[in-house]
Amino acid sequence: MSSIALVGNPNTGKTSLFNTLTSSYEYVGNWAGVTVEKKIGSLKNGAGKLIDLPGIYSLHPLSRDEGVAAQYLIEETPEALINIVDASQLERNLLLTLQLLEYGKPTILGLNMTDVAKARGIQVNPDILSEQLGIPVLPLIARTGKGTGQVLSVLEQPSHIPPVTFQLNYGELAEEAIASIVTHLQKISGLPNLRWVALQLLEQNPVILELLEKRTDISGLLLIADTAQTRLQRDKLALTLPQWIRSVRMDYIRKVCAEAIDSTLQKPHNLTERLDSILTHRFLGLPLFILFMYAMFKTTFDWIGGPLSDLLDGFIGGQLSDWTNSLLGAIGASEFTHALIVDGLIGGVGGVLVFVPQIFILFLMISFLEDSGYMARVCLLMDSTMERMGLNGKAFIPFIIGFGCNVPAIMAARSIEQPKDRMLTTLLMPLMSCSARLPVYLLFAAVFFPAQQAAAVLSMYVMGVVFALVLCKFFSKYLFKNEASIFIIELPPYRMPQLKTLSRSTWEKGKGFLRKAGTIILAGSVLIWLMSYAGPGGLNVDMDHSFLAKFGGFIAPLLQPLGFGTWQAGSTLVPGFLAKEVVVSTMNIIYHAPDTAGLEGQIASVFTPLSSISFMAFILLYIPCLATVGVIKKETASWKWTFFSMGYSLVLAYAVSLVIYQGGRLLGWS
Amino acid sequence: MALTSCSLLRLQPGTTGSIQRIEGMNPILRRRLADLGVSEGVMIRLKGKGPFMGPITLECNGQLFAIRRKEASMIEVKVS
Repeated sequence: MSSIALVGNPNTGKTSLFNTLTSSYEYVGNWAGVTVEKKIGSLKNGAGKLIDLPGIYSLHPLSRDEGVAAQYLIEETPEALINIVDASQLERNLLLTLQLLEYGKPTILGLNMTDVAKARGIQVNPDILSEQLGIPVLPLIARTGKGTGQVLSVLEQPSHIPPVTFQLNYGELAEEAIASIVTHLQKISGLPNLRWVALQLLEQNPVILELLEKRTDISGLLLIADTAQTRLQRDKLALTLPQWIRSVRMDYIRKVCAEAIDSTLQKPHNLTERLDSILTHRFLGLPLFILFMYAMFKTTFDWIGGPLSDLLDGFIGGQLSDWTNSLLGAIGASEFTHALIVDGLIGGVGGVLVFVPQIFILFLMISFLEDSGYMARVCLLMDSTMERMGLNGKAFIPFIIGFGCNVPAIMAARSIEQPKDRMLTTLLMPLMSCSARLPVYLLFAAVFFPAQQAAAVLSMYVMGVVFALVLCKFFSKYLFKNEASIFIIELPPYRMPQLKTLSRSTWEKGKGFLRKAGTIILAGSVLIWLMSYAGPGGLNVDMDHSFLAKFGGFIAPLLQPLGFGTWQAGSTLVPGFLAKEVVVSTMNIIYHAPDTAGLEGQIASVFTPLSSISFMAFILLYIPCLATVGVIKKETASWKWTFFSMGYSLVLAYAVSLVIYQGGRLLGWS
Repeated sequence: MALTSCSLLRLQPGTTGSIQRIEGMNPILRRRLADLGVSEGVMIRLKGKGPFMGPITLECNGQLFAIRRKEASMIEVKVS
């Protein structure tokens, strides 16, 4: 099986193309850094594997996701490359193309976004481009799939892609250095194209340097580079060798572009400019962002999501339970089976499933934000606030993704350039209220704050963000060396997200929730139900004497000062660590509630408005779930930081709930 | 026509200058800018300034991006 790698600048549509060429589906969005890990898929025509690499501007990595791409090209040997370039940004994109051509593998140039280029009055002639670079050039619109059929047919016979013959002359001085480095490298086996390795070495690509260091003594090679650099400086050609190499490439690219591009009719980004003048306005920008967020929550909880969830709840609690009851009665199921299915399964899993409409609508809106290009603007708007807190605005994209699920959000932090910023983002992510915590707020808000549901839920999200910012300031001051944070973000043109992409990416996000409902929530529900059904006194005991009550009773005294010192509340917290949704399932089972209305009644009698706020805050903050802990361990590669993230959130949750409850009581609330 | 050279921050929003010098900038940022095609001799346009002394939006070679004011002040431009 041959493997073919997709390489290109960030946000040029690699993943869109990957999704059309393979039968898999990966995450797409409209900002730089969507793909942070290489993805492997099988080509639709069965011709081999396609590898989607994170976007890079050059082979010299600055952030961790870029390192993934550079590493791949150096350590593995793809049979061919597809280099995707943005036709409306050809000059910048070709800088990478030249380095790929020097890599020497058969390459196809996918000239993507020809529609965007055309709309801006930029005409790229693929034939001239192909002639100049000596490789096949295929015009594409990856978002809609136009032109992808042709790519697929070329890939059917990867061995038929013509070999690359491209070679750029870097001038006498540099060429001499390249030649003598190549002679040295010939002794080492298993390297890719030697001229390419030599050039990357002269450019001081850290990945190449590291690789060579393992195989040989590189001091001699570095000396050659140094000598060449001194001579360049003496001849006043350039200050450094990497700068010289870059300028030779740029000169060549300008020449190619002058021939292949007709930009006489070029127009400015009209729509983007007009939208930006409002959306990133110095006074209007932030209030508009807050307004959008509020509208997003209002839609999710009040306008559309809420009513849909009520319908579903009516069905699960009413018809479905009735049917099941009569069916179980008809087949003469034992009392145990009956209770397991109705109280355990329908109660536990069904109690979580009723929130599916709201969660999907939230995901739909997050997908819209991602695909429209607004995400990058939010980072811009938030940067000055984030900078004061010791982080940078780029962390805001992962934070918003974290509202969906913390796990992909922590992965998304890879595109942040500085290790300190990346670490802070990862550590603070659990404070972003993910969709799994949502059912808890929805349940309590419906009971205690029916008139202000959206506001009550939104305030939980805001609380998480505020604590993240405050702790960020604290952590960056006391836990990390003072490393200046930098900020740079590309602002992609706005675009109207396509229905197909939106529904696809909403489904991909929501799928995980449904899968959890069928696995961990199901298992958790059965287990919790069994623990509530059995006790030291045997089966079918009074729930107050069940194992669950005993177990919850251990924790309850600790929770007494927080206002929810009952075994019922205590016993939801430990299974909640597996998946936060289980908190609600557990409540459903404990309170024997056939539907949400019944559960709401039960909760109203156990909690007070004040203790409900304290409980919601506790659920928001108390611990990252098991899956999040796993990804924190993977990304930080440190148990110390992983335990730290669990420890600080537990302490924070306890302190916050204590202040809310005791403070509220002092003020005379109940 | 008289040529004056000043910090990029001094440009009026919407106007263009040609980059004269970039000095004292964090090397990572410097490289990232170079990746976007921002280097000496290139035309750059100041698009707008963000809220609360936040980042400024720039356009170079048709690409929009934003950097902080402190860093932008290290880019010296020539306006005709």
